[in-house]
Amino acid sequence: MHILNRWFKHWSLLPAVLLFLLLTIYPMANLVRMSVSTITFAGGAAHWAWTPLANLQLLTNDAVLGAAALNTAIFVVVSVAIEMALGLALALLVARLSRGKGLARTVMVLPILVPAVAIGSMWKLMYNYDFGVFNQALTAIGFGPVNWLGSTSVALLAVILVDIWHWTPFVFLILFAAVEGVPTDVIEAARIDGATPRQITWRIIIPLLKPALAVALIFRSILAFKTFDEVFLLTSGGPGTSTELVSLHLYKVFFEQNQLGYGAMLSLAIIIAIVAFLLVSRRALTLRAMA
Amino acid sequence: MQTMKRLLAATAILAASVVAGIPVQAQQPFAAVGAQPPITILVNSSPWYAGFEKAVELYEKQTGNKVKLDVTPYGGMLEKARNAVRGARSPYDLINLDTQWTIEFYEGGFLSPLKDVDAAFDLPKEVLSYGDSGYWNADKRWRTPQGGKLMAWPPNGNVLLYVYREDLLKAAGIAPPKTWEDVLASCAKLQDPGKMYGMVMRGERGNGIRFDWMYFMLGKGATVVRDPAAGDYTVTINSPQARAALDLYLDVAKRCGPPNAGALGQGDLIQLISTGKAAQGMVVSAAWSNFDDANKSAVVGKIAAVAVPQPAGGKPAALLGNWNMAIPKNIPDAQKQAAIAFSRWFLTSGAQRVYAEAGAIPVREDTFRSDLAQNPKFRWMPAYLEMQKYATQELGYAEGAQVEQILGLRLNQALIGELSSGKALNLAAKEIEELFKKSGRRTGALPPLPE
Repeated sequence: MHILNRWFKHWSLLPAVLLFLLLTIYPMANLVRMSVSTITFAGGAAHWAWTPLANLQLLTNDAVLGAAALNTAIFVVVSVAIEMALGLALALLVARLSRGKGLARTVMVLPILVPAVAIGSMWKLMYNYDFGVFNQALTAIGFGPVNWLGSTSVALLAVILVDIWHWTPFVFLILFAAVEGVPTDVIEAARIDGATPRQITWRIIIPLLKPALAVALIFRSILAFKTFDEVFLLTSGGPGTSTELVSLHLYKVFFEQNQLGYGAMLSLAIIIAIVAFLLVSRRALTLRAMA
Repeated sequence: MQTMKRLLAATAILAASVVAGIPVQAQQPFAAVGAQPPITILVNSSPWYAGFEKAVELYEKQTGNKVKLDVTPYGGMLEKARNAVRGARSPYDLINLDTQWTIEFYEGGFLSPLKDVDAAFDLPKEVLSYGDSGYWNADKRWRTPQGGKLMAWPPNGNVLLYVYREDLLKAAGIAPPKTWEDVLASCAKLQDPGKMYGMVMRGERGNGIRFDWMYFMLGKGATVVRDPAAGDYTVTINSPQARAALDLYLDVAKRCGPPNAGALGQGDLIQLISTGKAAQGMVVSAAWSNFDDANKSAVVGKIAAVAVPQPAGGKPAALLGNWNMAIPKNIPDAQKQAAIAFSRWFLTSGAQRVYAEAGAIPVREDTFRSDLAQNPKFRWMPAYLEMQKYATQELGYAEGAQVEQILGLRLNQALIGELSSGKALNLAAKEIEELFKKSGRRTGALPPLPE
């Protein structure tokens, strides 16, 4: 009976293992296989040719990839840093409200609920050089219009601004829940010991929020690495390569140019970059916690 | 009511033809196609979709056959079409393909040649050729009726029209421009930054700038590759003529357009013209309906159209951006027959008239030459027909999409001042040559331009 129970325990995992293999391992294995192949279509069927180095060569010779990688790094660092700071400030501010906390929280999260296409259209209209609300406001107060989406020096910033508007509420939600979860007796004790509100925030609440901050940072960084819709809808990577991000470049390679093998190689490179980033962040956070 | 009258008229003509013994095929405005199983068509939501929908409604009413339309935004069309033909059975019986995508589908062997479905099917002689993009010669890997098979028919053919504010030009004493130098001269009078742009055209990275610039390129006699139809893929995009074309394009964009010329797409042009912020513009013919729609336009009745200007001393040029309706290979024969039946009906003069009246661009020359052209609503028709005389297909090879990406980027970089015209074209030439080498084409390059 005991042996039967032990066997059953193992076999009962089989459906989950099969599902895992089907949904995760198979697509990944297929992606790896694609990345070392050249795929063409003829006679109504796909033909795979084993060309392990061809796609790697394309990766190293890709004229746009360098700019896309640099833009992505800038995009991730700037947008995530500002979103973390803003999200934390808003979470602390809303947590202090004695009334209307629920309403404030609901209003704060609205941008995450707006579909990406609506966000793209809305901001594209607001950024419009001739008719957009930003330039009309700037003109009204005596400044000249800004070429938001048509200038290489401003376009990436304009896209980052939309990302900040879109995703700060996500950081806010995670941190707000964490702030609400901070034990009140600790804060009370600090207050009795004479700590100022500033000291309570910096020396008690924020250190207690570290696990939540780490989660928000990692989640936002992963999502920022994969940003596609905002940049696709606002600029399609232009002008020039000033807003080209790796995910957008991948889309163009895969879907517009129909280079399936090279697209798979590029996907793998992006996955490796994200995993490396995660490992480095985790290590940095662990070392910091130990220190 | 109008449709009913038309139906009665059609029936009367058909009956009279039969009685008089005249060959029915030559006379009837609508084709009799008999009872067919229901079909599904993958079609793009576009400015001409309303016309297509109206024609389909009439087809259903006349024939009793059912047509389901999967109306998809442009951005989703290619993937839906790819998924349909690469699967075991296509959910669509007719798929609409942008001319640039056709080669991938022809070469991949995903489509049924139309004469294999019905040996009697042919494009009526009145249907505009659109650079023969519906034919595929597999041996030459080229779209041509010479040795090629008919793979698709055109439901829509776009060229760019040169539209202008008739009232403004008249008031300024400017005649509709014939050359780009005329355009530059008109801009000197009309350009008033912030209030009025002299002339607008697409400059955004990608298809937009590539397509619009090619009017200048062809006008100057330049080409991307030497003779792709004959298999000579020597890259010629960095020729002195191409550079002159790019310099002229940049001059017009900077002296006539807004400061954000490098980010202008089709939607921006339509917006600028229909709000009265641009005096002239180069827009796709399908956009015309926007200008005369009082709900969308502040310049109703004020816009006129002529053929796109040519460079002084150059030649008239036009580039085609048509659609192609094709039958997937992976559907049952009965569905293919039903798809052919609809195709035959759609290309008749009666259907094309209904299509045009509902705001679409017909594909039959006789529709353009009919009394419709006298109607002020269709005052763009003569310019369109004029441009068809010299309209051509470009990038008609398997690497076309990649060449477009290269040109779309390098031209845009020249427009925004990141690269000189010589450097932009040299870079494009080098990248395109690499691409052709990789594909095993017979290729080569011109000496680089001074940068």
